[in-house]
Amino acid sequence: MSGIAVVMMVLICGFIWGGLALLLSKAVRSESAKNEVGDDG
Amino acid sequence: MSERFSSRWGLMLATLGMAVGTGNIWRFPRIVATNGGGSFLVAWVVFLILWSVPLMMVEFAFGKHSRLGTVGAFVKMAGKKFAWMGGWVALCATAIMFYYSVVAGWCLRYLAVSATGGMVGADPTEVWTSFTNSYMPLVTHVLALGIGVSVCWFGVRGIERVAKVLIPTLFLLIVILAIRAVTLPGAERGLDFLFKPDWAALKDVNIWLQALTQNAWDTGAGWGLILTYAIYMRTREDVPLNAFTIGFGNNAVSLLAGIMVLCTVFALNPDASSEIVGAGNEGLTFVWMPQLFAQMPAGGVFMTLFFLGLSFAAITSLISMIELATRVLINAGFARKQALLSVAAAGLLFGLPSALSLDFFHNQDWVWGVGLMLSGLFFAIAARRFGLEKLRTELINGPGSDIKVGRWWTFLIAVVVPIEAVVLMVWWLWQARTWDADWLNPLGTENVGTVLAQFAVALVVLLLLNKWLARRAAGATEVSS
Repeated sequence: MSGIAVVMMVLICGFIWGGLALLLSKAVRSESAKNEVGDDG
Repeated sequence: MSERFSSRWGLMLATLGMAVGTGNIWRFPRIVATNGGGSFLVAWVVFLILWSVPLMMVEFAFGKHSRLGTVGAFVKMAGKKFAWMGGWVALCATAIMFYYSVVAGWCLRYLAVSATGGMVGADPTEVWTSFTNSYMPLVTHVLALGIGVSVCWFGVRGIERVAKVLIPTLFLLIVILAIRAVTLPGAERGLDFLFKPDWAALKDVNIWLQALTQNAWDTGAGWGLILTYAIYMRTREDVPLNAFTIGFGNNAVSLLAGIMVLCTVFALNPDASSEIVGAGNEGLTFVWMPQLFAQMPAGGVFMTLFFLGLSFAAITSLISMIELATRVLINAGFARKQALLSVAAAGLLFGLPSALSLDFFHNQDWVWGVGLMLSGLFFAIAARRFGLEKLRTELINGPGSDIKVGRWWTFLIAVVVPIEAVVLMVWWLWQARTWDADWLNPLGTENVGTVLAQFAVALVVLLLLNKWLARRAAGATEVSS
């Protein structure tokens, strides 16, 4: 596998999968906060 | 009884199930392989942000605020004169449902055949040809439609329960298959092919338009399906973070599917890689993948897992299309079961030609695929009618939002998305001139004439029915909270 392909793999997978992980962690934290204040709407 | 997803995770899994379909697994790997690999991926990520995510936010906001199906939502958000646009969105997604049920049936058939060892020693080309030339696709079409209707029978709770099982399982299956693929000897050639950029290709406008098309077709943005599920969001639910998460989640699955397919192809049959990725959706999935799995140790097991994943992806997307059509009929005054049975009857009837003729199937796939670009444009127009800043500040950044969206979103919906939709439609039709010598023939399979003729009939009928559609939508009851 060429060096540039490895760099691109890290960048693209990092952006998509890393981005997804960050978004999910934000969603989990927000959901916990909403549950704590008892917002059931 | 209120109709709501019980949790944010129920909503997200159902929406992800809608977005992840066969397009992620059978189209994305082919398109990335034939359009510059890593360069295509750059353009694909750009259009995730410039097309999919902004339109998903519009859909989430429309559904959550209106609590009505596509026709009612367009009337409530844009005004009575725009009922026909909501009708177009519904028609387009429903027309896709008619033939997508056939695709889901193919997947179920191949799942059954591979699970029972029917592919062992068989010639996949012969299996595919004899299958599609028989009446069996009709049977599997009915089966797939029956499964989808059965799930929707129980309303949003049924959709949520099924999504909570199928989507994590689908994700797990794709991860297992991707791990198997990257551990095959020679798999690094597939990774190299997938990620190695051809920078010169970035100057080619076709690469960018293919990347935009892939986003338009496989994220579900602008189809009206997210709007339909957003009707059942709880009031406290967020819009922008959910839109980003679904967009990234969908593309994460596409990336895994690309790794899985291309590593398998390059590890097992590198000499035929060009032929395989150029074989079309059905050729890659139903002819080449079984051949490749047959060369792999324990290939029968992995082939079964592959078709199981494909079936789950197809069924969860089909469910969302059935629910869209059902919700529109409920708003028009039908009871849920009455609406669902009407959708089932229509699906059965109008799916028949696609089940029995691949030419008819390809015609419908082509026509309504282009139609989706018009749907995206209609969402942008309706959002503009409502007031983009009002939509952004009051609905997208409104109560429950976990992140705030800046004015960049307003610019994208006001300027970028409409330009993308128009350019994409013109580009596809321009290309189609060369596919058929008789390119204006309205009876052609994949040409310009068939698109223009079917669009013209649909648009004239919808415009003539606009007042009636708006009246029915005005009398609709919003989903209770």
